[in-house]
Amino acid sequence: MTSITKTTSNVVSAAIVTAAMALPSLQFACADTAPERGIVSFKYLNYQESQGSLSQYSSSSSSSSSSSTSSSGKVHSENDNDNHAIWIDTISGATAVATSTATTPTVVTPKTLSTTTSSTAHDRISVNAYSVMALVPIAGVWSFGTTYISDSVSGASPTYHTSGLTTMHDARQSVDAQLTRYFSSGNVSAGTSYSKESDYLSRSYSLQGSLSTEDKNTIFTLGGSLTDDTINPSTMPNLNAKKTTHAGLIGITRVLTKNDIVQFNLGYSEGEGYYSDPYKYYDNRPGHRNNTTALARWNHHFEGTDGTVHLSYRYYSDTFGIRAHTLDTEYVQPLQNGWAVTPLLRLYTQNEADFYIATGAAEKADPTVITAPPLSATYYSEDQRLSAMGALTVGLKVSKQLNHDWLVDAKVEFYEQRSQWALSGKADTALAPFSARSIQLGISREF
Amino acid sequence: MKKNLFIKSLHALIFLIVLAMSGCSMGPAVQPWEKETLARPEMTFGGDKLDTGYTEHIYSSKEAASGGAGVGGGGCGCN
Repeated sequence: MTSITKTTSNVVSAAIVTAAMALPSLQFACADTAPERGIVSFKYLNYQESQGSLSQYSSSSSSSSSSSTSSSGKVHSENDNDNHAIWIDTISGATAVATSTATTPTVVTPKTLSTTTSSTAHDRISVNAYSVMALVPIAGVWSFGTTYISDSVSGASPTYHTSGLTTMHDARQSVDAQLTRYFSSGNVSAGTSYSKESDYLSRSYSLQGSLSTEDKNTIFTLGGSLTDDTINPSTMPNLNAKKTTHAGLIGITRVLTKNDIVQFNLGYSEGEGYYSDPYKYYDNRPGHRNNTTALARWNHHFEGTDGTVHLSYRYYSDTFGIRAHTLDTEYVQPLQNGWAVTPLLRLYTQNEADFYIATGAAEKADPTVITAPPLSATYYSEDQRLSAMGALTVGLKVSKQLNHDWLVDAKVEFYEQRSQWALSGKADTALAPFSARSIQLGISREF
Repeated sequence: MKKNLFIKSLHALIFLIVLAMSGCSMGPAVQPWEKETLARPEMTFGGDKLDTGYTEHIYSSKEAASGGAGVGGGGCGCN
């Protein structure tokens, strides 16, 4: 109590500084009262990823900068037909052909694919995104929140392992909305979201409720959602593939001390439908994917520094055979004059999917030789995201409360992913390391 | 499938209740007048929604694992 009195002004300023971090969403801790003020936020994201060429990082082929023998179009997609062939060029840089435009000219802005012509392309996908969020309290017991995101994605993406680059462009727009009713001992929230790309349409509906004990020190949360996706790849515009996912979440949030709060969530989801990546070679995944997540979070406030540390650990397991561990930590330090800094560190590791096909010896020697899956394999994928790997993120967020109403923030993050960093599974060390950098700039106003 | 989901949820609920009850014995319950710090925005699990939205989207398109914190939200054909 005495320390609270001593730091009252700090508390107040810190509360204001980090007001934007308090935006209610479907992830709440103590939510039996409606927000007192409305808020409107805007955020810009610039994201750029890069990857060393295989020849540069491959353990076995330092000399082969794929200058070789092979020219473009060495392998063709299993899904080819006369109209929609994607031909792969390699990072060797032979000029190539490859557009896969939709047959139907009426299709609006199809995702366009073409092979890259750059031989030293390290840049991969880049994203520019804008998002706006509004949250409005209604009549003291309701709130309405909505988010709109528009992003534009372009750049090169591998078609097998970390090779066979094709370039793509697409735009995505998504909107979501939640309506929440607050009661004396909990709340109920209903939400919906809609997301559209040229080749991917997703609709989702969710319902979540929370119930707190009389002393408000324990809160139980129960939620469920239904997601319906439709996929029409630009290479197969009439595919009309579906994917349906049911998910449930159960959680408990508990106040341990006046400086400690913990949360445990268990999630389960069952999905059926199209999981393959239509833009990759040799990619045929099972038609269902169920996953289980266990998430533990702990927030601790240090009275000495007036800072707060966030620790979280997530275990993820799914029927593709993926097991993943994520450790996230950040530290919020309020400073003078409305400033706050938040350094963050994230560690991630996963093993490979059961049907991941590692880079073969021939491909290691010459990246243009695509490793074929065994004839007996029903399911297979050479997507690096399903390989065993580890990843590290470091970042820093800086925010400043300009006055009672306005807050601005900036965040930068660096991400590095390497197969050698996998803590379990069989690392495919021929995969090139992957890195990304993101910058966020935000402004928000309370009213 | 649905029954399976229900049983798993039930087990999870029992597990969490036991966990919560064991938490009760950790110390005296925090009183309402001791919750000034807990009420601070950085002590909640909500976070900056737009930041979280971007970040989770990026990770779910570059890694095999996703989710855990909430339900809902759309999928994407991520590259």
